[in-house]
Amino acid sequence: MKRRDFLKVTALAGLSISTGNLFDCFTYNVFASDFVDIAVAEGPSPSGITNAAINALGGITRFISRGDTVVVKPNIAWDRRPEQAATTNPEVVSTLIGLCYEAGAGRVKVFDRTCNDARRCYKQSGIADAAAAAGADVSYIDDRKFKTVKIDGLVLKEWPLYREILEADKIINVPIAKTHGLSKLTLGMKNWMGIMGGWRGRIHQKIDESLVDVSMIIKPTLVVLDAVRILTANGPQGGRLEDVRMLNTVIAGTDQVAIDTMGAMLFGMEGRDLGYVKIGDRVGLGTMDLSRLNIKKITL
Amino acid sequence: MKTNLIKNLRRISQGIFLLLFLFLFIRTESQGADELGYPVKIFLDFDPLILISTLLSSHVIVGGFLFSLVLIAVTMILGRVFCGWICPLGTIHNMAGSLKKKRTRAIHPHWYRFKYYILLFVVVSSIFTVQLAGILDPIAFLIRSLSLSIYPLFTSTIRAFFDTVYALHIPIITDISEFIYDILKQSILSFQQPFFFQAIFIGFIFLTVLGLNLYEKRFWCKYLCPLGALLGILSRYALLKRSVSEGCTSCGVCETMCSGGAVTDRNGASRKTECLYCLDCDDMCPHNAVSFGFGSTEKAAPINLERRHIFTSVIAGITVVPLLRITPVSRKGFFDTPLIRPPGALNEREFLKRCVRCGECMKVCITNGLQPTLVEAGLEGVWTPRLVPAIGYCEFRCTLCGQVCPTGAIRKLTIKDKEEVKIGMAVIDTGRCLPHAYGMSCIVCEEVCPTPEKAIWLEERSVINRSGERTVVKQPQIDLERCIGCGTCETNCPVKGRPAIYVINTNESRSDDNRLLLSL
Repeated sequence: MKRRDFLKVTALAGLSISTGNLFDCFTYNVFASDFVDIAVAEGPSPSGITNAAINALGGITRFISRGDTVVVKPNIAWDRRPEQAATTNPEVVSTLIGLCYEAGAGRVKVFDRTCNDARRCYKQSGIADAAAAAGADVSYIDDRKFKTVKIDGLVLKEWPLYREILEADKIINVPIAKTHGLSKLTLGMKNWMGIMGGWRGRIHQKIDESLVDVSMIIKPTLVVLDAVRILTANGPQGGRLEDVRMLNTVIAGTDQVAIDTMGAMLFGMEGRDLGYVKIGDRVGLGTMDLSRLNIKKITL
Repeated sequence: MKTNLIKNLRRISQGIFLLLFLFLFIRTESQGADELGYPVKIFLDFDPLILISTLLSSHVIVGGFLFSLVLIAVTMILGRVFCGWICPLGTIHNMAGSLKKKRTRAIHPHWYRFKYYILLFVVVSSIFTVQLAGILDPIAFLIRSLSLSIYPLFTSTIRAFFDTVYALHIPIITDISEFIYDILKQSILSFQQPFFFQAIFIGFIFLTVLGLNLYEKRFWCKYLCPLGALLGILSRYALLKRSVSEGCTSCGVCETMCSGGAVTDRNGASRKTECLYCLDCDDMCPHNAVSFGFGSTEKAAPINLERRHIFTSVIAGITVVPLLRITPVSRKGFFDTPLIRPPGALNEREFLKRCVRCGECMKVCITNGLQPTLVEAGLEGVWTPRLVPAIGYCEFRCTLCGQVCPTGAIRKLTIKDKEEVKIGMAVIDTGRCLPHAYGMSCIVCEEVCPTPEKAIWLEERSVINRSGERTVVKQPQIDLERCIGCGTCETNCPVKGRPAIYVINTNESRSDDNRLLLSL
């Protein structure tokens, strides 16, 4: 994709946000191949679009095998209700758990290291109840289960990470798209903060590099970005319904950088506006060049 | 024939009430929902001493306390059955006393009066608006001691044990211990290990009181308990009466084993107001000479307080008021800024009149931020709750402290009100804040600021670093109209010890004098 085309895409993305027809611009993708890299599904049912997006990528069996221990990692960081769009949509989470079991997963685990009181976050977000109903093992973070991992990254030498995610066969990252005071947006890569131990506040000194460092260690099998509702201001915690926009969309794929690039466009930004996307692209974690990807849009 | 029927019935009753108490105590903990769901403060609701002292000190009748009329009525009919059959602290005293094998008659038969003087002191001081009942009220005393000391000690011990086994990683054994640990975590352990200032001190007092049972069984109940004294007065004309028939041989068994120190001589004569109605003497009397019934017309002996001691108690109750209040903390217009009260707390004077220091708010606080004061609120405010954000902040949408407060010293807020009540305001120490003082990026305080429109906002500032390069940093600023003083910023500030952002009680909604802003 040439620079001019890229600008066109961006402009169209901006336009499509304002008209509500998200990602129509991708339907003309000239590099289309049979293999779908990223699926964007839009529709009224969170469960429906999640299913549709996974199907478009080739179905859940492309990612999950019989007997796998799967970690589904939503964002449960805050004591907020689903309609406040600070935590992942519970229906998206439970749908993914259901799909994993359909594919024969042995166990599906759900947890997050929350910022507010964990009991309130798990309960108020609706995720604990929805995930448990879908058959997942929902657990609170156990401080004993952090293991210091050698990272030798751009800024992080080592950091305690959650053992259960390190030991999982498959990882599905299910973040929600929100604004953030420092990293501008919190999307997929930033969701890994929920499996980091120690004093996480410190990583804000070099947040972009830190996020890339952790994302190089935790490689998800699948990323499903929840944009059923997005939080456009006062993130990442929100609380004001005026700041929430209904997009009724999920974006699924395997490339952490590409997914976050797509996420940026939801907010009228580009991938390169986000430090961690730019660095992630540079160090080869993934690509922010969407023209190299086969993106499929589904409207239900 | 001697039977242990009644004794066993009493033990079953004591056991049930103690378990009920402990169950409710353990359930005084968030499950993540907005409402607690259990009437955890119900034992205090039934406590007429708290009813009377609150009524006298702040001239209000808190709704829940109407239950205590039930206890008053029961006592006027059946005597101090509460002490003998229900009181969880009394039951614990029984258990502690069972460590002392030998039963003796009351060592200090005249000390029983002491608790009436305490009662008088407490009541008189409440008339003059100082609320001291909770310090010695058995229910408040028990909840406070368990909450702030014994329960944290218990959970810490259990955790240490299972953590050790976990760290050893012994196959099978560790699996089994983790399985048991999980069950304990879901039943009797707290969600997280609580930590409280003065835990040792408060625990020491509690264990000393229990230890007195080794000197004399039920020492507390006989000589100290002000609720026991109140119920004693109410039981003086109780319809259920103890009588000794002519079959009495003056063997003295009842005198020796009387747990309330009520039986005063070998002939079985007793002071009705001291009788705990355990009915042991009825059971134990070898000649079946002792019986309890409604028919007896025997007159009860008076409590027989000494006039000069009554006088002393009343004077003490009066003089304690100015004594406690000649500290600057009581001076109008003086605010000790670190004294941050829970959200919904009444203004300080009214708050102190009502708080009975039961410690339920501190037990239920989900971040462990509510801590007992020692002298921060003056001696009058000893063991009242204050928020220490360096330990834990006030969770934005949590209203549990107001839900469990038995006297309304902390109002029960709706979530909407809670989101607006200010308990103080945040202050930035620009000499320590990373973006302000060192030009480094941080913004943690802004990220965690919970108000829907963030009270902490970021000002972009261009700064020059040591190499002469110009960079832009985001420096936090505080919007005083939005800031509610919850302290989330202080808890999470990466600068530990003396955080670069901290909360003071200035601008708290509950005080007209401590407000900072012209309009709110």
